[in-house]
Amino acid sequence: MLGKGGTSASRTKRRNGVLANAALLAYTAFALFPLFWIFLMSLKVQRDVIATPPKFFFTPTLANYAEVLSRPDFLTPFKNSVIVTFGALFLSALIALPAAYALARMEFRGKEDLAFAFLSLRFAPELIILLPLFVIYQSFGLYDTYIGLILIYQLITFPLMVWMMRSFLEDVPKELEEAVQIDGGSWFTSFRMIITRIALPGLAASCVLSFIYAWNHFVFALVLASQRTQVITGGLLQFISFEQIQWGSMAAGVMLAIVPEFIIAVFALRYMIRGLTAGTVKG
Amino acid sequence: MNQSRRLPYLLLLPGIVLLLAVLYPFLSGVYWSFTDFDLTLGQNPAFNGLDNYVEAFRPSGEGLHSILITFAYAALAVTAQLLLGFGVALLLTREGAHIKVFRALIVLPLLMPPVVATMMWRVMMTPDGVLNYMLSWVYLPPFDWLGSTSTALFSVVLIDTWIYTPFVILILLAGMQSIPTEVHEAARVDGASYAREVWNLMVPLLRPFFVIVIVFRGIDSLKMFDIIYTATRGGPIDATMNLHVQSYFTGIRALDIGSSMTFLVVLWVLCYALAFLLLRARRGRLA
Repeated sequence: MLGKGGTSASRTKRRNGVLANAALLAYTAFALFPLFWIFLMSLKVQRDVIATPPKFFFTPTLANYAEVLSRPDFLTPFKNSVIVTFGALFLSALIALPAAYALARMEFRGKEDLAFAFLSLRFAPELIILLPLFVIYQSFGLYDTYIGLILIYQLITFPLMVWMMRSFLEDVPKELEEAVQIDGGSWFTSFRMIITRIALPGLAASCVLSFIYAWNHFVFALVLASQRTQVITGGLLQFISFEQIQWGSMAAGVMLAIVPEFIIAVFALRYMIRGLTAGTVKG
Repeated sequence: MNQSRRLPYLLLLPGIVLLLAVLYPFLSGVYWSFTDFDLTLGQNPAFNGLDNYVEAFRPSGEGLHSILITFAYAALAVTAQLLLGFGVALLLTREGAHIKVFRALIVLPLLMPPVVATMMWRVMMTPDGVLNYMLSWVYLPPFDWLGSTSTALFSVVLIDTWIYTPFVILILLAGMQSIPTEVHEAARVDGASYAREVWNLMVPLLRPFFVIVIVFRGIDSLKMFDIIYTATRGGPIDATMNLHVQSYFTGIRALDIGSSMTFLVVLWVLCYALAFLLLRARRGRLA
């Protein structure tokens, strides 16, 4: 049966392709709609926010952004998040880089067990460490301090960095160390060469993804910080706990909190995907 | 050569120190779960054996209720995400420039703070919110998404699914791309239908990837805190109160450290049981 559009088999194939794209489009709409809706909300005046039925068309305003950026209960947590996240990243990189290098480039006894022990930090319910620390931190004066938070953030940034960096360091061919050794260089020569040149993009991506995970984290600061060092996630949650809910400013705060992440993420998406699955499959 | 044999341990030393540092609060906490430690009473914790555990598993007690909610939440979330993620991953194995765009866009929910994502959904799930408005377009009655005991658990699972299905998609997609094309060609030469090819060929080959998804998503949803705390605080009337959220209110708010640590130890055992499943699967593949 040959029609104008080709054989019936090819017509079925084309129809399946259209159906598949429609299904993908539907899922993508599901994934993006909340972001789109909150973005719209951040541009609405209060009257438009609470309108029933909800409004898709309105006169946009930037007033919510101006308002949020002048509020200390947004700016202080934002600043705290920057301090804690970068502090935690710096400390984690110091600990994780040598560890990842050893796990990726050297053979020794107990290697996989240690690697798994590091990963298992990620599997514990956070409060099983946090609740004792809540008691311990008070007596050591670490409660509601930057140092206290940076230390506990290692629970999330360290395992992620070790596993992601390890996977990038394993990509470098083994011949490199041999060549360095023939030239009379030590292990440190190879270490320096690998981390400053060959594996640099991967290592940078590990830091970026750890940044996102640390930035997104909530429960550490919920338990171990109070007003002084509260981070952005906890700070934003305060916005909807008040009686007079200013949905517009909350939406603007949400957009300001996630937009930096998305910009970074889009630039490094190829590496991101590797990182999001770190410790699971070899990318 | 002696120096080079010690070198890896030297490089790992800071990491090992961190592991040991975590052990101190962890072991203190486990010990407290066998005591009547309560900060409101201010007395020194006294050992009370298994009292807290007996109380936690008492029929129709709040501990047992939280355990059941913990399981229900994890089972619903993992099942929904596995099915949806597998379907979308299959669609994304095709070629084309537009597929690359889809792949980039669907990752976005995974990159935002779960607390913030949940706040977005809370806004949309209010009785006058946009979700109910959209339901009215197709003549469906409105829901009280997070406000009613019969729908709250499903609503928080929906939020979890929105955030974490991309993770399942990424893992399964990596698995599907690792299957050599010859395998697919052989199946087609044998005249296998697409459904057969998926069920009899891909599903068995993807087994290790399913294990990874179930372990990672299983653990994360057993210990889910951010979404439930932000959406409902365990309510309405404990309808979404899982072990992790329960332990927060018992320990941090009510300062009953002993009981709270008991809930956490039970939860920890559940999570690590799943983690050892992963360890065994890993060992199996190495052997």
